[in-house]
Amino acid sequence: MIYCLYFIVALICVYTARHYWFTLNRLFGFQRHPYIDVDTADWPPVTILVAAHNEEKVIANILSALMTVRYPADRMIVIPVNDRSQDRTREIIDEFVERFPGRIRPFHRTAGKGGKAAALKDAMELVETEIILIFDADYIPGMGLIRQLTAPFFDPEVGGVMGRVVPLNSGGNLLTRLLDLERSGGYQVDQQARMNLRLVPQHGGTVAGVRRSALHEIGGWNDASLTEDTDLTYRLLLHGWKTVYQNRSECYEEVPETWAVRIKQIMRWAKGHNQAMVTYALRLLFGKHSATLRERLDGALLLGVYIMAPVTLVGWMLALAVFYRGIAPLHGIIALLSLTAYAAIGNLAAFFEIAAAVRLDGNRNRIALLPFLILGFTVSIFSVSRAAVAQTIDALTGAEFHWDKTERFRKASS
Amino acid sequence: MTAIIATSVLVLVFFAMLALPLTPACRELLHKTDHEPLKVVQQHAGDVRFFADGFRHYLAPIHANLDESDVYGSDTLIVMPDGIPCLVLAKTAASHDFGIDRENACTKMIASLGDLELPAGVTFERDIYARQHLRGGAGNRYRALLGESGVHLAEESVVMRWVHAVGELECATQCRLYGRVSSERSIRFHAGCRFTRVHAPLILTGRSNTNEAAGPGQEVPENTATEIVDRVLQEGDLAIAPGEVFTKHLVVRGELRIGAGARMLGNVKAQKTAFLEPGVIAHGSLISATALKIGPDCRLRGPVIAEHTISIQPGTHVGSSQAPTTVSAPNIDIAEGVVVCGTLWARDQGRVMERA
Repeated sequence: MIYCLYFIVALICVYTARHYWFTLNRLFGFQRHPYIDVDTADWPPVTILVAAHNEEKVIANILSALMTVRYPADRMIVIPVNDRSQDRTREIIDEFVERFPGRIRPFHRTAGKGGKAAALKDAMELVETEIILIFDADYIPGMGLIRQLTAPFFDPEVGGVMGRVVPLNSGGNLLTRLLDLERSGGYQVDQQARMNLRLVPQHGGTVAGVRRSALHEIGGWNDASLTEDTDLTYRLLLHGWKTVYQNRSECYEEVPETWAVRIKQIMRWAKGHNQAMVTYALRLLFGKHSATLRERLDGALLLGVYIMAPVTLVGWMLALAVFYRGIAPLHGIIALLSLTAYAAIGNLAAFFEIAAAVRLDGNRNRIALLPFLILGFTVSIFSVSRAAVAQTIDALTGAEFHWDKTERFRKASS
Repeated sequence: MTAIIATSVLVLVFFAMLALPLTPACRELLHKTDHEPLKVVQQHAGDVRFFADGFRHYLAPIHANLDESDVYGSDTLIVMPDGIPCLVLAKTAASHDFGIDRENACTKMIASLGDLELPAGVTFERDIYARQHLRGGAGNRYRALLGESGVHLAEESVVMRWVHAVGELECATQCRLYGRVSSERSIRFHAGCRFTRVHAPLILTGRSNTNEAAGPGQEVPENTATEIVDRVLQEGDLAIAPGEVFTKHLVVRGELRIGAGARMLGNVKAQKTAFLEPGVIAHGSLISATALKIGPDCRLRGPVIAEHTISIQPGTHVGSSQAPTTVSAPNIDIAEGVVVCGTLWARDQGRVMERA
């Protein structure tokens, strides 16, 4: 029991050190933005896939924004992937097709397997270009964003590109403000540090791009995955393709405004991520492929982020058990440290990371909200643990994964 | 009794410590002093003319004054809506008084209706606008310049923020240009010039004339890279033989050497330094995670990107008037006699090296 506890504490220490390493790199290290200055070029043809499932509230916003971006109109085709919507999504898309002839090629999917990956997989029949950009329907791209996300594809080593997601409804309530802080830490520090250190920036599946030949090489979209983006990141890596992160390619999104929606969202992410961990962790660490040692280690740690929640809970229980059973190496200090290590040092690392990210974003007063993150972390740790348990039961009983779409809160545009 | 007091004190201390960090948190939650979404640039698309257009817009309210000065043929001092003094120089005035102080500084904004010739050795602390040709004196320091025709910066001029010319922009030797430098026609840098961000349909270095440098007989590589999907992934170093035609995209995880006269039809990436020998033709992009050393007389369609340094030898052409492109690296060293069509972006420093 005590060795199990030692192992968990060691794991927590590794993740804590990783948080500090990323934050310090972001604050003091060399920042890599190799493609962001590509301002003028013979831009290649691109296809923009807009994943939409019952998106009547938001679909018009993104299509309007895409029609005004600064990219040669004759080299850009937008494919709204209308996945079995039962609201006015189809009608709105068709209105845009009429208003912008030749620029929007709609894909109305009326049947088939559920989930974004399955819809994107079917939509690939319409894609003719080598460069594919992907947006969820609630995103609002700025005028220069398509160029910024396309530029890295001039690099033949790049298979995937990821931009930065910025919450638009950040001021809504306590939850949206906490998610704003978390997103800031996740992108401004985590993702950019991975880019700086040549590790494994994660493909997010939206505000993102993928090279068609790379996608073809890795076997296309995996519709069995709950998080097609994580799955894509690892399959690209295993096949010698890089995913790059563009911190300055920012795009607004809508974050959940209720805890119920947030819990559903994070549980889906956790299940998908754990699914990728089981599928790719061993191959990534020990397989024969061209990933560097640092990519293998970072990739494995990234795969483990969601499983750390139940592992931490188990660690707490073990620490209590060890203490009450009277197993007290070093007079109980180990047990005490095990209980407090994550709260005292582990959390501090995450807090440090988020505070640094907020500061790098040029914000100030919102840092005061950091103590409330304990609430967010507590909800996350139990939701993610619940997801892991449910996933294990599903795996044992052979139940199929169910894909839950995240609810939108924006009012429909007129 | 003591136990009750001790417990109460402990409970109070506990709640006080809990409340301490939560007080500013609750205050921020209630008062929302910093809740706006992070500002994402939605409209500005990175146009290099952004500042020039902004300055024109700023000057719009005084266009009537400009025309009036022209009618009366005398210079006028006006005050802009934001309180900044602006010296309007008439086209027909025989000479101008720039109001240069003892420290050789001109503190007024200048708007000129005709050709503008500026005295040498002066620091112009405000933006300068010229409706016709602008010619600066040697050793001047400028904040920003907008010329609706050509702009000539004399040797050792310094521009702190930006310069934009609708016509040709020429920068004599040893100029230092810290901000955006742009022209709607062409820019010529002479030896010793330093720059960061430059954009023009044609950017030339050194004294060679435009026709000679752009060369009517010079080949512009066709865009074959867009059609290619296959790539070669090479672990370690690689050398492409002189004259070889390489038909795929190429990724080299080590050092890359492309032999003289070789032709690369796809996009090219090297993790370490990439060396291009004379006369290499690249139909796609050329990228290095460290440095690019581009030999003389190469033809590159671009973009050309390095994460540390790019050096370009004489006679090399990057991009074309039909397909302008970007050369981007933290440090760019360009020899005299190079032609770039599009954007040169040196995040730390770009230099024009004197021909040996």
